[in-house]
Amino acid sequence: MLKLRYNLWFGELGEVLEVSKDLRKSFEGAKNPTPLPFNVSELGLKVFGKDYYGLLRKIAIEVSEEKVEKELRSDDKYVVALVKALEEIEEAMNNLKEKKEELEEVRETEILENFSGSISNLERLKERIEEEIEVVMQRISPNLVEIAGAKIGAKLIEKFGSLENLAKAPASKIQIVGAEKSLYKAIARIKRGKEAKIPKHGIIFTHPFIRGLPKNKRGKMARFLASKISIAAKIDLFRGELEEGLYDSVKKRFEELRRL
Amino acid sequence: MRNVRFFGNVPATKSRYGSHYGEKIFEYRGERYREWIPWRSKLSAMLVKGHEIDLKGNEKILYLGAASGTTISHLADIVDEGILYAVEYSAKPFKKLLELAKIRENIIPIFHDASKPWEYSGIVEKVDLIYQDISQKNQVEILKLNSHFFLKDRGRILMMVKAKSIDSTAEDEEIFRRVLEELSKSFDILLTDSLEPFHKGHIFVYGRKV
Repeated sequence: MLKLRYNLWFGELGEVLEVSKDLRKSFEGAKNPTPLPFNVSELGLKVFGKDYYGLLRKIAIEVSEEKVEKELRSDDKYVVALVKALEEIEEAMNNLKEKKEELEEVRETEILENFSGSISNLERLKERIEEEIEVVMQRISPNLVEIAGAKIGAKLIEKFGSLENLAKAPASKIQIVGAEKSLYKAIARIKRGKEAKIPKHGIIFTHPFIRGLPKNKRGKMARFLASKISIAAKIDLFRGELEEGLYDSVKKRFEELRRL
Repeated sequence: MRNVRFFGNVPATKSRYGSHYGEKIFEYRGERYREWIPWRSKLSAMLVKGHEIDLKGNEKILYLGAASGTTISHLADIVDEGILYAVEYSAKPFKKLLELAKIRENIIPIFHDASKPWEYSGIVEKVDLIYQDISQKNQVEILKLNSHFFLKDRGRILMMVKAKSIDSTAEDEEIFRRVLEELSKSFDILLTDSLEPFHKGHIFVYGRKV
């Protein structure tokens, strides 16, 4: 028969209770797949008496303080790595699809199935990474997610290298980042005395509030959105809490431009 | 409510502690109070709108989405003989919450994702009330999951709902209707109201586990 074991923050309960010798370790491992069929504090109060809550609080503070510091140091690096991985996967998927089509034109072959299998595996991996980006972004950059969406927000962080760099960047840079190639091409043309169109938006172009507008209004929206993204990144960097009203101002501007 | 007093239209909690988020501290008849502005805290807004929840002061509470501890600092004044388990998964506000937990003896900070209660199942005890203020799409599901793990029979929930985080396209009224319908499968709804004008597009729902 399966022996039940419960992981408690102060030890393990099987047939008997083994009180932990390393409370910080047992606190971090106090996970159980289903609810405990008893109250952990009742048992704890029997073991530690009235010191129970004082001890729990002390361990909770020590453990979480260490964890939070570690995460603050590495969270945006994680986002950067995830975005890079995502871009590689998207490129690999495109290449595979292309090669598959080339094969299809020449011959019906079993290899095609293997291609389809690999593509759908990559598709799943892509979805998994996107979910993870969503979760991490929500945690480190709630305001950026609120107004730009997790994917655009993450791509911006990746492009600038960190949330701090993004927060320090001028809004004009945020507006066109991702469109450097056409920007420099345009500048080169202008230098040669020719006419050129300067790009109005880069990464942020995929935002529904920009794409949802006719071409002649996208530039205005991009400029406004970029300035709000800059503010969002600053709030995320310094405070990290959702600022009510930021999204409303962006939406209002969108509605205004749409009506014009 | 216990340890809460209104000064004009603004509530304040009786407290022997200092200011946590810049709120005003003042004395009244020899007691110290911390001002509790309804625009800063949804629980305060609920009180200002004339609603109350019954708290005796020794409750065990699980607080999901503690953020930097603005509301929980006042709740800790109210249940001064109870215990508050404060769950927050965002690093920056959590640091501020830690400052509070280091001073307040009745706050236990938990740096975990509230959507995964099994990860803190060996830490949090069975509680009398679950307070939830997380703007997430699946916040009802998260509340139910935590209630399954930690809420006592006939225990209560107090949930702050922001329409826009649940669905950014539907009408607020429609979203609230869906939330209430979903909640009423597991809870008796005791009280619900909008938090306007203090918190746009928000309602609170107070209920009891069936």
